[in-house]
Amino acid sequence: MIKIKDLDKYYSTEELQTIALNKLSFEVKKGEFVAIMGPSGCGKSTLLNILGLLDDSDGGSFIFNGEEVINYNERKRANIRKHNIGFVFQSFNLIDQLTVFENVELPLIYTGVKKSDRKKKVHEVLEKMQIMHRRNHFPQQLSGGQQQRVAVARAVVNNPKLILADEPTGNLDSSNGNEVMDLLTELNNQGTTIIMVTHSEHDAKFTHRIIRMLDGHKVTENSLV
Amino acid sequence: MIGNYIKIAWRNIKKQPFFTFLNTFGLAIGMSGALLISLYIYDELSFDEMFKDADRIHRINVDIKFGGRVNNLAEVSDPVAATLEKDFPQVEMTTRFRNRGGLLIRKNDATLNVKENITSYVDATFFDMFGLELLFGDSKTALNEPNTLILTRTAAEKHFGLEEAIGQTMLLNNTDTYVVTGVIDDFPMNSLLRNHSVLFTMAGYDDASLNNWGSNNFATFVKLVPTANPEDFERSLQSLFGNYIVPYAQAIMPGITEEQFIASGNYFNFSMINIKDIHLHSNRFPEMSANGSIQNVYILSFIALFLIILAAVNFMNLSTAHSLKRAKEVGIRKTLGSNKIELIIQFLTESGLISFISLVFAVLIAILAMPFFNELADKDISIPFANPVFWGVLLFSGLLLGLLSGIYPAFFMSRFIPVKVLKGSEQNGVGGGIVRNVLVVFQFAISIFLIVSTLVVFEQIKFIQNKDLGYQKERVLIINDVYAAGNQVQSFKNNVLQLAQVKSVSLSSYVPTPSSRRDNSFFEEGVTQQEKAIQMQQWNVDFDYVNTLDLEIIEGRDFNQQYSTDSLSIIINEATVAVLGVEPKEALGKRLTPNWGEENIRYYTVIGVVKDFHFRSLRNNIDALSLVIGSNSNSLIVKLEEGDFSNTLSQIEKKWKSVVPGQPFDYYFMEESFSDTYSTEKRLGSIFTIFSLLSILIACLGLFGLAAFNAEKRIKEIGVRKVLGASVGQIAYKLSVDFLKLVAIAIVIAVPLAWYAMNRWLEDFTYRIEISWWIFALAAFLAVLISILTVSFQSIKAAIVNPVKSLRTE
Repeated sequence: MIKIKDLDKYYSTEELQTIALNKLSFEVKKGEFVAIMGPSGCGKSTLLNILGLLDDSDGGSFIFNGEEVINYNERKRANIRKHNIGFVFQSFNLIDQLTVFENVELPLIYTGVKKSDRKKKVHEVLEKMQIMHRRNHFPQQLSGGQQQRVAVARAVVNNPKLILADEPTGNLDSSNGNEVMDLLTELNNQGTTIIMVTHSEHDAKFTHRIIRMLDGHKVTENSLV
Repeated sequence: MIGNYIKIAWRNIKKQPFFTFLNTFGLAIGMSGALLISLYIYDELSFDEMFKDADRIHRINVDIKFGGRVNNLAEVSDPVAATLEKDFPQVEMTTRFRNRGGLLIRKNDATLNVKENITSYVDATFFDMFGLELLFGDSKTALNEPNTLILTRTAAEKHFGLEEAIGQTMLLNNTDTYVVTGVIDDFPMNSLLRNHSVLFTMAGYDDASLNNWGSNNFATFVKLVPTANPEDFERSLQSLFGNYIVPYAQAIMPGITEEQFIASGNYFNFSMINIKDIHLHSNRFPEMSANGSIQNVYILSFIALFLIILAAVNFMNLSTAHSLKRAKEVGIRKTLGSNKIELIIQFLTESGLISFISLVFAVLIAILAMPFFNELADKDISIPFANPVFWGVLLFSGLLLGLLSGIYPAFFMSRFIPVKVLKGSEQNGVGGGIVRNVLVVFQFAISIFLIVSTLVVFEQIKFIQNKDLGYQKERVLIINDVYAAGNQVQSFKNNVLQLAQVKSVSLSSYVPTPSSRRDNSFFEEGVTQQEKAIQMQQWNVDFDYVNTLDLEIIEGRDFNQQYSTDSLSIIINEATVAVLGVEPKEALGKRLTPNWGEENIRYYTVIGVVKDFHFRSLRNNIDALSLVIGSNSNSLIVKLEEGDFSNTLSQIEKKWKSVVPGQPFDYYFMEESFSDTYSTEKRLGSIFTIFSLLSILIACLGLFGLAAFNAEKRIKEIGVRKVLGASVGQIAYKLSVDFLKLVAIAIVIAVPLAWYAMNRWLEDFTYRIEISWWIFALAAFLAVLISILTVSFQSIKAAIVNPVKSLRTE
C-alpha cells in the first residue's frame, strides 16, 4: 500500500537547517497495523504528515497505492487524501461550531456524497462508535473519550483505505485510551490499514509491527505477529 | 451547501459576541453615515429634475467685462426672451422671472399686512414652460391680465383658506390691488422655485417691455425644440451681442464699435446652463435661490467613501486578526478534503451575513439620526421606504461591501497550511501582520486628516466671525419695511432715537451684510471713454449713517446737514480711490457722475474717503462703493447701548404699531444676518466634526479589537515576562508601543495631505487664516491620546492576568 524510499525532509531558517527525515525507507502492506515510535523530535509527526499528503518532502520516493505521489501538487494530494485517508489526532481536532453529526458528515460533503446518503452513512458509523445518542451535541459537551470516538467516526465514514493516527490516546485516560485502541483494532481487523504514531509501548502492542525512529531515520523494525 | 454555510456562519457569529459586535457596529456606523450622505447627495443632484422636459430647459447667462469690472450674471435684458423666440427657430418658448423680493401684502378686507419674502414677476408662459398645473384657476389665462397674481398652497391657506382664494382681491404695499387668479401647489424643496409664495403677472409691468438692452434684470429661460442641438444653439447666442447690444450702445455712445470694445479687452458673452445644472454648477449674480456647491457634493462623497473604506478596513483587520481562532478549523477542513474555493465561499458567506445584519442596524441608526442630520444639513430628507429601487440598491451595496470586505480575510484564512495550524501552535500559521499594520495606518491617517480639516474649518469660521469688518455689527437692530410708515417715517425715527438705550438711528435700505446689489457706472468729470467707467455701488443713506455704523472717515469729512450742498456730495471708499489711481487726499474734490450721457448730468463731489468695510462675503475682495444722501427708507438701522434689549425692543414695537397699525413689526439683529451668510461654512464645519468623530470611532473600534487579539496572541509571552519580574506598567507599555508607532506613521502621512487640501479650500476666501502649526500638533495629540486610551484598556487587562492561568497549557 505504501512504499517510501530515501525520504528526506529539511526545515530551513536563515542560519540553520534541521534534518527531520534522513533517507527514510520502509513499506506498509495493505491491512497492516503499524506503530511508529521514537523520542520527541525524531521525525514521527513529520513522517505522518507526509504519509497523509499534508506535507511534501525534499527528496526520495513515496508510492501510495501504486501511484508515485512525491511531486503531486496540493490539489492532487487533497483529492487522494479525501478519498483514501482518514485522520485521528491526539487533540481530536473536531470543529466546535458543528454538532457530532455535522463533524462526522464533513468528509462526505467534501467528497460530494448526496444528502440522503450522507445521513445514512453517518448514522451507521455513529452507531458503530456507540455515539449515536450524542449526535446533536457539540464537542464541548462531550468527554475526551467521546470526542475521540467522534474523531474516529469521522476518520472512517468515507471507508478510507488508510487511517493515520497521531498519538490517538495521548489526551485520554487509560480506560478511554483502551476503548480507542479497541476501535482501531477492530477497524484493522475489517481490513483498514492503520499507521499510528505513539509514545505508548502499551498502545504499540496492539499493532503488527513497530518502526522505531531516531533523528529522522529508521533504527529498528520489529514484527509483533 | 449554501444552507450549510449560512448555518455555520450564524453559529460562528453567535459564538464570538465581542468580535461580532466590533465588526457589526463598525460596519453599521460606516454604512449609516454613508447612507445619510448618499441621501443628501441624491437630493442635491435631483434639483429641478421634476420639471417636464427639463432636459430642454435652459437659463440664459451673460458675462460682461467692462470698465475693468467683470460681472457674471444670471439675468439678462428684458428683450432677450422675445428676440430669441423671433430670431431662433430652435426656441420653442421662453419664460422670464423678475425678482420682486419681500413685500407686504394682505387680503383686501384685512387690517394686518403679512410679509411675503420671496416673490417674482413671471411671464404667462410659465405653466407651459415648466409643465405645471394650477390647483385652482385656469393656467391658460391666469397670468394674462395685468394686476393678477397666483398664490402657492401655503400662501393661499395663510391668507384665505385653500379653496376660497380664487377671485379674491389683495392689497400690495398698501397701494396696489391684485386679483388672485390661481393657486399652485407649493414648489418642491429641491427646486429653484422653492419658497416662492407669490407670482405676479408680467402683463402690465412696464419694465418688462422697455426694450432696454443695457440693463440685465430678468432671469430668462428657454425651452428648445426636441431636435435642437444645445451646443450649437449656445454658440449662436453670441449673435445677440453684435445684432442688438452694439447698436443699443452706439445709440448712447456714438462712435463706439464692436471691434474697439473687444480690442480694449472687454467682452459681452452669452451662454446658457441647463436648469438641472443650476443648483450645483451656477454661482452667478443673482441666483433665484441659494445654490449648493458641486464642491461640497464632492467633499461629502469623499467623506462617505472614507467612512465605507474605514469600516471595510476595520472588518478586514479584525477578521484577519481573529483568524487565530479559525486557524484550526481551516486546518481540519483542509485535511478532510476541503479546497480553497469552498473555504473562501464559506468565509464570504459569513462576511455577507455580518454585512446584512450591519445593514439592518445601519438603517435603524439612519432613521434615528435623520432629524438631526436634516437640521444640520438644512434639508428635508427622508428614507424612501416605499421605493423598491432604494431597497434593492441598499441591499446590493450592503452585500457587495460585505463581500469586498470579506475577500481579503477569506483569501488570507484559506491559505493556512494544515500541518502548521493543527498541532496547537496556531501562531505559527498566522501571518498578515504587515497588511494589518498598513490598514491601521490608513485608518488613522484618514481620521487625522478629518480632524485637521475640522479644526481648519472652525478656525476659518472663527476668523470670519471675529474679523474687523470696518463697521459695527454688534448691537445693531434693523427694522424692515419702515417705508410702510409713509410720511411718518422720519417722526418714527426721531421717536426711536429718544429711547434711553438707543445710541443712534439711520434710515437706509443699504445694510452692509452680503446681499444682491448692483453696481452703477460712474464717470469722473472730463472722462468719457466707456472703458474708464468706474463700476461702483451707490448707496443712498442719510446724515446719520456713517455714525450709526461706526464707519471710519480717513480723509475729508462725513455728511453734515449744515451743508446744503451735501445733497450732491459723495463719500467713496478706499477701493474706489484705488480705481481712481490717486491718493485718498487727492480724491477729495473730484466730481463723479452716475448718469453720463443723459440730458441733465448730475455730478457728485467727493467730500470724504471712508475706510474700506466689508459689505460682501469675506470670500470676496472689497469693491468700489460710494455713499450719497438720498431717500431710501426700507430699513431703520438702530445702534443700541450694551445691556438687555428686550425692553427697548418692545418699546420700539409699541411705537411702530402706534405709527402704523396693521403693519408687521419685522426686525433682525445685524450680527444674526452676518452669521447666516456663513451658514454654509458652519454647516460644513459641523458635518466635518461629526464625520471626523465617526471615523475616529470606527478606527478605535478596530484598534480596540486588534489590541485585544494582540494581547491574546501574546498571552504566553506576558505570563513569562511576569514570572521574570515585569510590572503591569512595563507589560502594558510593551503591548501598546507597537500600535503607537503605527499612529505616528499615520500622522506623518496625513499632515502634509491635510495641509495641501485645506489650503486649497481656503483659496476660495479672499480673507483667510494661515494654517498654524498648532492645528496639526493638536490633531496629532488627539490621535495619540485616543489610541493610547483605546489600546491601554486591553493592554492593562492583559497585564494583570495571573501568569499561572496563561502558562497553564504549557
